[in-house]
Amino acid sequence: MSHTGIETDVPAVRQGGATNAAIVTAVEIGGAALLGAFLLSDKTVIIVALLAVMGAIFAVLQLRPRVEERIVAAFRDQRRLSMALGAVIVLTYPFFMNGSSYVLHLLIVAQLYAVLALALNFQLGSANIPNFATGASYGIGAYTSALLAINFGISFWWTLPASAVVATVFGFLLGFPSMRTKDSYLALVTIAFAIVVHQLLNNFAWTGGANGLVGIPAPTLFGHSFAQPIVIFGWRLPSQANFYYLAAALVCLSIVAAKRLHESRVGLAWNALRADPLAARCQGIDIVRYKMLAFGVDAFLAAFAGTIYAFYVSYISPDNFTFLVSVTIMTMVIVGGMDNTLGVIIGAFLLTMLPEKLRIFSDYRLLFVGVIVILFLILRPQGLFPQRARNYGAHP
Amino acid sequence: MDALVAQHLLNWLVLASIYTLLALGFSLLFGVLDVIHFSHGDVAMVAPFVALLVVQTVAGLAAPMGAPAALVLAILVSMVAIGLLGVLLDWLVIRRFRNAPAMMALVATVALGTVIREMIRTFYPQGSNPKPFPSIASGSFAIGDFVVPTFSLIVIGVSIAMVVALFALLTYTPVGMRIRAVAEDRNIARLMAIRPSRIFAITFFIASAVGAIGAVFFVSHAGVVRFDFGVQLGLIGFSAAVIGGLGSMQGAILGSLLIAGVDVLVQIGVPDGASYRLVFMFVLTILVLVLKPSGLLGKPVFEKV
Repeated sequence: MSHTGIETDVPAVRQGGATNAAIVTAVEIGGAALLGAFLLSDKTVIIVALLAVMGAIFAVLQLRPRVEERIVAAFRDQRRLSMALGAVIVLTYPFFMNGSSYVLHLLIVAQLYAVLALALNFQLGSANIPNFATGASYGIGAYTSALLAINFGISFWWTLPASAVVATVFGFLLGFPSMRTKDSYLALVTIAFAIVVHQLLNNFAWTGGANGLVGIPAPTLFGHSFAQPIVIFGWRLPSQANFYYLAAALVCLSIVAAKRLHESRVGLAWNALRADPLAARCQGIDIVRYKMLAFGVDAFLAAFAGTIYAFYVSYISPDNFTFLVSVTIMTMVIVGGMDNTLGVIIGAFLLTMLPEKLRIFSDYRLLFVGVIVILFLILRPQGLFPQRARNYGAHP
Repeated sequence: MDALVAQHLLNWLVLASIYTLLALGFSLLFGVLDVIHFSHGDVAMVAPFVALLVVQTVAGLAAPMGAPAALVLAILVSMVAIGLLGVLLDWLVIRRFRNAPAMMALVATVALGTVIREMIRTFYPQGSNPKPFPSIASGSFAIGDFVVPTFSLIVIGVSIAMVVALFALLTYTPVGMRIRAVAEDRNIARLMAIRPSRIFAITFFIASAVGAIGAVFFVSHAGVVRFDFGVQLGLIGFSAAVIGGLGSMQGAILGSLLIAGVDVLVQIGVPDGASYRLVFMFVLTILVLVLKPSGLLGKPVFEKV
């Protein structure tokens, strides 16, 4: 597992492999079932009840830290099993969704936001750089690939890297002021950047102005168009399943990238930057370089998400990429737990699905979400899953 | 031609006055509380709605007042109401982030802004529709061949009066001295028998009330008010405060003059300028911050090891 030469997988807590395996299986299947029930139910009572169950689980984790530690230890012990089981759950999940294209749509959007939140997490979580422009990078990625596909007929698979490169260039451009500004001033620079990008997309003729771009062709893979339903062994999945798997692959890629970066010198340098920029500099860390790198990585991943989004909905407009989108992404990172991959993903899922599932209260939806975010920041500022101290093989 | 130039200059001063009233609040709050109150624009934008309610209530009275008198009353009431709203929001939400990382307070106040906007949209009668807002003063008078609207004079005059009053308050009164003491060092101020929590409440009241006037002028200038106007106005005011240097009053004024200058110049000089004004304003913001990382009049921060 570890290529850094540091042994991270020490069998320290071997209190019976079978118990650990049972815990891992129960947690993963239980989580998947809870999410599935939440997604499929359309009765207010059931939704509220399921939310109460989730709240209760988090309350238990909050009040009984030993439960959380036990689960973490079990996962550390049964790493292979947890990954294999996770892969199986992700792959077979669409089959349990009764062929509902709406649920798949929610899952796709949630996964794309998970990628965006993970991208921002490199900056906000790892290095404590406030960036309110992830939504802008997302938009730059989406527009680049859409323009390439519409005007030049370039296939999805080529626009993916092309848009990532373009967005990364813009990311570095945005990172440039970060050499001198910081904190609130840097936050304002990124806010200003996000607004400038949104306004330009809204006004240029070649980006379609406020009407956006229409008619982005669906990608194809080995002759299979992503607009077609998937049929396997007589099972029929709606066409959204194509994008579900694509988004899942991207989430997977992001998790691997997050993990590898976290375990590398880069992640360590970012954490040093977060703890104290001045001390980091005295240690010989080139803080400008690592700050720029954080902006680049954020934009790169965000552009991937943007490309998939553009091809998935086949219609994009500037309003998909406003400053408020960036704020939403930032909220996901903070609610989930900064610098904690799992937490960030759960934060993204919760904040994508809550407003959708609360459509019953349609008029009060945003109000409700705003109040929840504020309460959250007051009551549990460290997020659902707080960041963990780095562990280099010593006993936890 | 001269009259045209003068017209643009007047327009510039009006916009700068409005932005200054917002920027002062951001700067004051940052200087005293070290907090970026991102929902300041949204809080201020509640003022026109309160004013409209007051105007309607007064019009429904048995003995209706004259329209100008009713409007003046409405503005005064909304000023006090928004000042109190600022204090309330500080007490409910913002004070809980006094010792938290700056990012937490920033995100919390962004969420607070959403809550305020949504409250107006859902609970104010027909809150989601744009509402016409009466002009504070109609009429104009001529100096030579140059027409000065009374409204412009009132906006500029009131803003200057506000700035002078605020400056005098901070410099010459005991309360102002306490505010400056708390801004300097709240722990040492506490040793001098100053209660920081009370000073914070006073600061919030002043900042919000001053912002309320700015918002009323803004919508009166536009002739219409909508629940989400606060976002843009807040961002512009915040940018003005940051360009000038957060915590500096002169900076807030200078920043507002700059931002308003770009605003007017773009609308005159750039084709289709109205749709690009935000682009130019925020590009200016980025450029200033790249060249002067802590604003034009902000003190450069040196870290001690």
